[in-house]
Amino acid sequence: MSFKEKYVRFYDKHYKKLLFAAIVFFAIFAGFIVFNYIKTGELFQKGVSLKGGSIITVQLNKLVDVEKVQTELGKLTTEEFNVREFSSATGDKLGFIVETTLQNVSPVVSKIKSDYDVKTINVETVGPKLGQSFFRQMIVAILIAFILMALVVFVSFRVLLPSAYIILSAVVDILFSLAMVILLNVKISAAGIAAFLMLIGYSVDTDILLTTRVLKAREGATSERIYNAMSTGIVMTLAAMAATGIAYIATPSEVLKQIMMILFFGLMADLPSTWFQNAGLLKLYVEKKQKLAEEKAEEKEEEEENG
Amino acid sequence: MVNLGILKSGRIIFLLIVLALALVAIYPALWNEGVAIKGVVKDGPAYEAGIAQPKATSAPMTREVIKSINNIPIRNMEDYAAALKTLAVNTTAQLKTNKKTYRIVPQYKFDYVTLENESTYENRTTQLYNKTLNMSVNITEQVKVPKRVKVYDTSVVDLGLSVYNAPKSNIKMGLDLQGGTRALLEPAYELSQEQFDNLISVLEERINVYGIGDVSILPTKDLEGKQYIKIEIAGVTEEDVKNFIVSQGKFEAKIGNATVFAGGTDITYVCKSSECSGISYQEPCGKTADGKQWVCRFRFSITIKPEAAQRQAEATKNLDVISMGGQQYLSQKIDFYLDDVLVDSLNIGADLKGRAATDIEISGSGAGLTQAEAINDALNNMKRLQTILITGSLPVKLNIVQIDTISPTLGKEFTRSTLILAIVASIAVILVVFIKYREIRIVIPIALTLFAEIIIILGVAALIGWNIDLPSIAGIIVAVGTGVDDQIVITDETLRKEVAILSWKERFKRAFFIIMTAYATTVASLVPLLFAGAGMLKGFAITSIIGVSVGVFITRPAYAALIERILKEKRQ
Repeated sequence: MSFKEKYVRFYDKHYKKLLFAAIVFFAIFAGFIVFNYIKTGELFQKGVSLKGGSIITVQLNKLVDVEKVQTELGKLTTEEFNVREFSSATGDKLGFIVETTLQNVSPVVSKIKSDYDVKTINVETVGPKLGQSFFRQMIVAILIAFILMALVVFVSFRVLLPSAYIILSAVVDILFSLAMVILLNVKISAAGIAAFLMLIGYSVDTDILLTTRVLKAREGATSERIYNAMSTGIVMTLAAMAATGIAYIATPSEVLKQIMMILFFGLMADLPSTWFQNAGLLKLYVEKKQKLAEEKAEEKEEEEENG
Repeated sequence: MVNLGILKSGRIIFLLIVLALALVAIYPALWNEGVAIKGVVKDGPAYEAGIAQPKATSAPMTREVIKSINNIPIRNMEDYAAALKTLAVNTTAQLKTNKKTYRIVPQYKFDYVTLENESTYENRTTQLYNKTLNMSVNITEQVKVPKRVKVYDTSVVDLGLSVYNAPKSNIKMGLDLQGGTRALLEPAYELSQEQFDNLISVLEERINVYGIGDVSILPTKDLEGKQYIKIEIAGVTEEDVKNFIVSQGKFEAKIGNATVFAGGTDITYVCKSSECSGISYQEPCGKTADGKQWVCRFRFSITIKPEAAQRQAEATKNLDVISMGGQQYLSQKIDFYLDDVLVDSLNIGADLKGRAATDIEISGSGAGLTQAEAINDALNNMKRLQTILITGSLPVKLNIVQIDTISPTLGKEFTRSTLILAIVASIAVILVVFIKYREIRIVIPIALTLFAEIIIILGVAALIGWNIDLPSIAGIIVAVGTGVDDQIVITDETLRKEVAILSWKERFKRAFFIIMTAYATTVASLVPLLFAGAGMLKGFAITSIIGVSVGVFITRPAYAALIERILKEKRQ
């Protein structure tokens, strides 16, 4: 028996369990996000670009201990003040990055210049009002993107439930990625929200593949079609995960790192959300439809017999 | 070997043509040496030697590149800096570029100080139809331009050029990759469209006068309808942006230490008509002592408030009268200060001594290579001065709501890392594809398509002059990732066993349904980003959209044609 046959047999037997497991799995993460929101009053931790503040990127000639920098510079202000390491693509340490809610950072900058052997120093400051307005707009952008994406899906497939399943799968991917970001204590920047937007378009690709193969193919049973779509789709997702995972490790840029991390987790969630959740729901949908069709056919036969 | 017959496919030929065009647009020249001219300071030595100011929008490879100075070869910025040190003021040097050879006279470095928010009017005539007269009449409108003055730094010998290492292709890098300053400005209160446009043109003029090339000023509105101005300047510090471009000015006229009048408030009338303003005919235009330049003088009259006139009388009553060039002037000049920096000194006519005159004549000069230029310059200076006196300052203060500086070395580090990243990520993707198919004849076309896509995206970016910044690179990675996805879909649809059931055509149709729907969802989710957040993530959205579009309409059809042939061949 080939692997395909084994999988199809296994899937036919257990698809409801897999579907249930996927739903429970994602429900836990959704619950976590809600719990976190109630606890902190915020959906996620906002970075400087979304709440206002400054980022100081310091490249050093002579490296120093980041924790020491934190205690020394942290004394200068009562505002939120975080120092972390800054390294290159090849893993060489370059210096440190300060992220703070401070607006006027010139005292901090002059202290850095006087206390450390500075090669370059870059300052990025965002006003608090601008940050808040960015945040509001990004949320609006996500909502619009979602509505547009949903429209495209409905117009393409013209069937209500399968289209809704595709959209549900995208929601689930975003929720999982968001939960991971909260768990890892990452502060989300405007670029990060752009990554969530990208995830909307990206995560539905495999679901579109699956739905097309299941609904439009003429050969094989549903589980076989799911398997065929999966053998294509998993490679797609793995290739994208490889690219984003490596990009995450290789780039020293905070902007790129965050985009890649969010995409990576979203793609990871896309595997169960597409191949267990969406596939399971689709299989249920197709079977129900077939049953209805059979019943109708029987009724018709009966009618013919009677008439 | 792949049969050369694939070249007969229209889709593949189309891809090759687009690829060739993209390469032409990118114009790679990795061997390019020298320093390219980014900006020419107006009235500086290079300007006088006849070196043209490049347009900010011109493609990098069309820039004039300096190859040698006094036969010292210039390969990079270090060479250029070293060569500058060998030059002496007023000693002619020979400067060779890739276009021609110039004779150039080095001068002390000078900067233009832009009169903060002071602007002047230029006439713009439009023709309108007048009903009552039943004829067309010319309506002259006044358009604002700012005033600026020269400040010398006698410790530095300079050519009045801003240069950078010669570009190696037409791809423009964003600020985060090449270093520079980016600021997001917000007017203190909401402006009408006309006021807003006016503000933009003033900012543009200020930057032009500053003599730096790579600047972009982008007026934007965000989703909430707020007005912003985004300024990006390569190789300029945060302080420069704050001092030169954004800050608001305070204008004062002083005699000795006494402030006589201030811009705006103290002045009741400034003559701008030809009877009491214009090129001075008592002192006709003439050549400077070295015979290189023309100088013309202008004069115009103003009326100041009686209080200001009284202050002037106090300030001038104890001054001596001196004679200069047949004219009688007072021993002290009237000095114009902008933000407490001296920007100009003008002679005061002797007849004004101790008089509380409310009518005052003001004079000044302009210079140029030809008489016409000198007249033009003098008139421009006059107009600027007139406006300073009328308006005092711009009507609106600009708040810096976001400012960002990136040093060129950090930018270099980012560029290097990004190149490594692109290569490693591509290898990873290709590896995954290889593990799946274990068939070199499938992997090579996928890899080739992937690289063709990157080149075409970069070609489009070069063509439209889009700056590649970090978010743009993220966009390229994402687009290429989607591209590989689609190639996998095509390959699998083509490879599927049930050959008998569906024709090639039908299977491609299905693959393209998947691809087109996926494409439409991706574009749909990116569109809002073009407008949100004052366009800060536009780069990401634009390169992603270009990338997926190139993929769907150019590379994917070609890939499908290629893989169809390869797999058919294999089957036979």
